[in-house]
This record gives sequence, C-alpha cells and structure tokens, in this order.
Amino acid sequence: MAKSLLIISRQAPWSGPDAREALDIALAGGAFDLPMAMLFMDDGVLQLATAQNASQVQQKDLTANLQALSMFGVEDLFACGTSLNQRAMQPTALSVEPLEVLDDTQIAALIDRYDQVITI
Amino acid sequence: MKFAIALHSPAHAPSSRRALLFAKAALAQGHEIVRLFFYQDGVHSASGNVVSPQDESDTAAQWRDFVTTHQLDGVVCIAAALRRGVLNAEEAERYSRPAANLTAPWELSGLGQLHDAIQAADRLICFGGP
Amino acid sequence: MATLHVLSHSPFTDARLSSCLRVLGSQDAILLCGDATYALRADTATAEALSAKTGSLRLFVLDEDATARDIALPDWAESVDYAGFVALSVHYDKVNTWL
Repeated sequence: MAKSLLIISRQAPWSGPDAREALDIALAGGAFDLPMAMLFMDDGVLQLATAQNASQVQQKDLTANLQALSMFGVEDLFACGTSLNQRAMQPTALSVEPLEVLDDTQIAALIDRYDQVITI
Repeated sequence: MKFAIALHSPAHAPSSRRALLFAKAALAQGHEIVRLFFYQDGVHSASGNVVSPQDESDTAAQWRDFVTTHQLDGVVCIAAALRRGVLNAEEAERYSRPAANLTAPWELSGLGQLHDAIQAADRLICFGGP
Repeated sequence: MATLHVLSHSPFTDARLSSCLRVLGSQDAILLCGDATYALRADTATAEALSAKTGSLRLFVLDEDATARDIALPDWAESVDYAGFVALSVHYDKVNTWL
C-alpha cells in the first residue's frame, strides 16, 4: 500500500518560492496517484485569501493552481482554524473548496494519520 | 532502515552541514540512504561553483565527496535548480546560459524522484533553515 | 503514531516553536537543533513553556548546538549526538522538520 504524505504549507503566497514549491510536491504526488493531503497553517492560510492581485507585484496567483489540486487527485485539503482567526480570515470565505478547517487538536490527529509529513 | 533525505538549504547554512553529518551517522549505523533529494535552496548545496573561504568548511565539496565515496543517488530537483541558476551542461546549453555549475555526481530530475524515494524508504527526514 | 518534530530556528523572532507546541500529539517529541537551542536559555518564556510540558513531551537537544551556544541543559531535556539523532529518527514513526 502506498505511503501517504501530508504537506504543511506555512508561508504567505509571495514570501518567496515556498508556497509554490510546497504546492508542487502535492501536485506531483497527485499526478503519481499517491495519497496526498495539504494543510495550510500560519501564514500559509494567506494563500487562501480571496482578494489577491498577484500581478501588482509581478507574482503568480497560485489560486488557480490550488484549485487544481482536486483535479490532480489531492482532495484532502485542510486549514488551521487558529491561523485563520489570527489573520481575521473567515473560514467560509476562502478561495479553495472543499477545504476542512481544523482546530489544533484535530491537526495533531491529522499529522498522526499520515505516514510522512513535509512542512515548508 | 532505509532513509530518504531531503535538503532544502544551501551549503553555507548550518542545516546543510547538519544533514551531511546525519547522513554519515546513518550509514555508520548500518542504515541505507535510498536517495538524497536536494530541493528549494538545497540545490545550491550541489553547486560546483561554491568557493568557501580557506578557514571555513567547504560543505558543498564534502557533499560531493560523500555521495561519490558511497555511490549514493544524489538528485537535484530540476525546477528548483533552474529557478536558482543551478544548471548542468545540458540545461546551460538548452537555455543559452553562460556556464554550467552542476556536475557529477549530481543528477537533475523531477519531484517524482522525491516521491519515489519516500515510497521506497522507511523514514523521510528533511533538513533546511538555519 | 509518534512524531519527532525537528526545529532549528530561534524561537524569539519565529513562530515555528509556538506553532509546533500547539499541534503536538501526546506521544510526540521535539528535537531542538541549530538556533532552536536558544529556546532553552534560562529564565526565558520559551524555556518556561517547554518546562511546563515535561511529562507530556520528550525534549531532545543536539549536543553540539547547545555546547556551541553555552546553553546549560535543564534536567528535563536530553542531549543527543548525531548517532542519537539517527536513533531518534528510527524510534519515532516519522520526522517532521519545521523547515
């Protein structure tokens, strides 16, 4: 049975290549039909903000790529409720869905469920 | 146990040296390293152009020696490498860049190699940051 | 499943340690290395926060990093060398490095 992998994405969308490179691991895994999941945590939840104008700073808007995760077979998407709250983001108004918002205890359980984890 | 080791930091980062020492300790204990996968800024740890001051340790050279001596599979992520200007001769020619700075023993390949290593190994350990 | 969380960033300007502490599993452990060993500087809020978790959290420190920074190890932290680091990565079900 294939080992499952959880990617925890913790950086803001344009802090550098981190958001993109975390996403790329998930997309590649999905393309190979591997059991993958993504958790957005800390500044990573900012990638899920709906009003983004990446072109203003000549950056790529990752929203479309994030929305493509399910097409690549990565359907288990999660966001940290505490992180959303800290950044005054509404769990019901995120750019990617379906996505489950988890509290800290649920995140501990989520990490536990996966065979491997990469936190970028 | 079989280890997949991913490196996300350049040669001058303490975590690059730490990853190397971990890898050496793993082999010393009889474990196997399925693959070393250099991703994100880790591609710089494979650069052949790093010039370390004489009184500092040359981690890039030490990585090269380690991979060569133990005939390990040292893979550098091509997408991460291109973005950071780490190119082998083939890519330098393809993109008409002035120089290649990635040579043997390093191989350029995709994230599929990381996933392949994760599936084959018992443990994945990543190194990065300070 | 028990996870070994590895941290190398200084806790004073970085959120990794506090985020890690929020999502720790009951069987999990933390290995402090690099600048994360500064978390054990005596009389700091981070040292207190870690001390408060003794009993529910096993805390490891990479010896060379603590020694380099002249960090005195409290008795609730265990020092390991690289052989010990490898052994920990084998003992715990997986390793989560907060990159």
